[in-house]
Amino acid sequence: MTECLLCHRPLLPQLTLWQVLNFQPVEDELLCQTCVGQLEPIPVDQACTGCGRLCAKKYCSDCLRWQTPPNFKNRALFRYNDILKQYISQYKFYGDYRLKNVFQTQIKREVERFDADLVIPIPVNPATLQQRGFNQVAGLLEKVETTDGLATRELVKRQPQSEKNRQQRLQTEQPFVINLASEKFNKKRVLIVDDIYTTGRTIRHAATLLQNAGASEVMGLTLAHG
Amino acid sequence: MQIEQLFGRQILSEQLSVASSWQSQLIRRPAMMVTDQWVICQRCGQRTVKQTVRLPQGDYYCPHCFQLGRVTASQWLWSLPEPNQFAVRTDSPLDWTGELTAAQKACSRQIDEVFTAGKTHLLWAVTGAGKTEMLFYGIEQALKKGLRIGIASPRIDVCLELAPRFQAAFTSIPQVVLYGEMKRPYHYCQLTICTTHQLLRFYHAFDILVVDEVDAFPFAADPGLNYAAEQAKKEAGALLYLTATPSKALLRQEKQKQLTVSYLPARYHGYPLPEIKLKLTSRWRQSLAKQRLPSVVKATLKKMVTQKRRFLLFVPRVSDLTRLQAIIQLQFSALKTATVHAGDVNRHEKVQQMRDGVLDCLITTTILERGVTFADIDVIVLGADDAVFSTAALVQIAGRAGRKAEFPEGLVAFFAEGQTRAIKEARRQIKFVNRKARQTGLLRGDTHD
Repeated sequence: MTECLLCHRPLLPQLTLWQVLNFQPVEDELLCQTCVGQLEPIPVDQACTGCGRLCAKKYCSDCLRWQTPPNFKNRALFRYNDILKQYISQYKFYGDYRLKNVFQTQIKREVERFDADLVIPIPVNPATLQQRGFNQVAGLLEKVETTDGLATRELVKRQPQSEKNRQQRLQTEQPFVINLASEKFNKKRVLIVDDIYTTGRTIRHAATLLQNAGASEVMGLTLAHG
Repeated sequence: MQIEQLFGRQILSEQLSVASSWQSQLIRRPAMMVTDQWVICQRCGQRTVKQTVRLPQGDYYCPHCFQLGRVTASQWLWSLPEPNQFAVRTDSPLDWTGELTAAQKACSRQIDEVFTAGKTHLLWAVTGAGKTEMLFYGIEQALKKGLRIGIASPRIDVCLELAPRFQAAFTSIPQVVLYGEMKRPYHYCQLTICTTHQLLRFYHAFDILVVDEVDAFPFAADPGLNYAAEQAKKEAGALLYLTATPSKALLRQEKQKQLTVSYLPARYHGYPLPEIKLKLTSRWRQSLAKQRLPSVVKATLKKMVTQKRRFLLFVPRVSDLTRLQAIIQLQFSALKTATVHAGDVNRHEKVQQMRDGVLDCLITTTILERGVTFADIDVIVLGADDAVFSTAALVQIAGRAGRKAEFPEGLVAFFAEGQTRAIKEARRQIKFVNRKARQTGLLRGDTHD
């Protein structure tokens, strides 16, 4: 018997009539309906164009105040609510690598909509990679062809972003370097992928680097916003 | 690292160094066993299909016990053998001066024998039998010999209720209390009180390990915790399980001669267990949705309020709590009520308020089914036919009434849309133990004084 990866209640997959009739393989369910029901997807047409948060206007107040680089747009799939916090904590901080599979199909579908030339995951520094054993963003992107276009500047992270307040986050200096020859990015449409968009500082640092390297357009995709 | 921190513990690490005088005693075990198809965690004993838990660089991890820090196949579990650095004493460390009944004394002597012989044993005693007091004699003897003792329970609430009772009974013995959200760090003590999850951090530490409420969630459902209990005690150590409602699986172990059982069907005060009154009510959730109480429920509550009875009110779901509270507040405005559930941050305060008599009524989920004692209360279950109420849960809930010698009686009323197998079995069990207690002469005659 399988159980929900987050709440451990037994999973009772319910087949729809369509799934029974079309004889296609059914994707394994990993979360129960209760946990899935707590996710809050952000519809594209109700999101801020700049950062991807749920927002009635075209740009949220944060994005009206601060946009670096100016034409960077981010799309976020879900609000960073309690269930997604639990997911991220179990996946990233406790290191339960099985959770990478939960959103892979959805992320693949979303990545395809961008029709980008290069898909670049935000890297983690070597010390974290050694300790965690995986890059959580690369795990989410397992079903997508990616390019390791970025590397971290430091071997060891001095202070995790998740321990900083907003001001400290915004003052974070460029943590990345370009990992490939610049011409690889020349006139390319690039999609950067990260797990969470909080202030936007991390992904926008990455975007600036790639724009300076010659990319024609840089876009962002994150699993969560909040 | 302080060397005592390693006595009988298992520390997860890639490397560990200790003072050279201890180096030769250090035990190093691989944290996981890797076979062709499986990985088997050496901390929680659970096996997993290798491919499902493979990390990108070829390492494997255990998906069962990562909450205590993730175990990977490239790590080691380090420990030092338990040296029992405790004083052997001739005077008694027991400060408890209460009296045991004859039946309790018999159980208590049996427990001491189990402890001395290093056996695995189940003490099956009804709710309110006075299980904790029956442990005191055996633990007193063990403490005098300088043995290390662990008292574990699946429920934090049970641990937090046991700790002050053991502290009061053995004032001169330092104790440490361990659970997930505790703030104080671990330190080496002769007496450890902890949740069963914390047992995963011990390795051959305890000469005597007691697991209280062994049939409670999550211990019963988690094979890793059973393994943890076996590993946390010394190989020749004693393991004592306590419960009022043993599972079939546990009783099967008696038949397989893996453990012995002693049985106490009466409460320490010699009054029978209050029997369950079942009242049928139809569609109670629909009534609640219309801001009404079903008429039978209302009549029962009214009677209790006029008689100034305080009561616990159990419901199947967290979502039922506030709705029911609102309606009760509306109908009985003078009643002081509160709600509790597992995720309630103020749970311990509210339970204490109920104990202190500040509250008249506590509306709760199954979280308070066991391990808590309130004086002179009635017990009501609304929706007793819901699947969350197992036989064991219902027997435990009924066992909240009449626990104190001064107030040995209390109403136990179940409201349900029909009689389920669990309700039937719970009623049968309570009648059965009362009859058994009467037959063996453990009750105070049939007329109550």
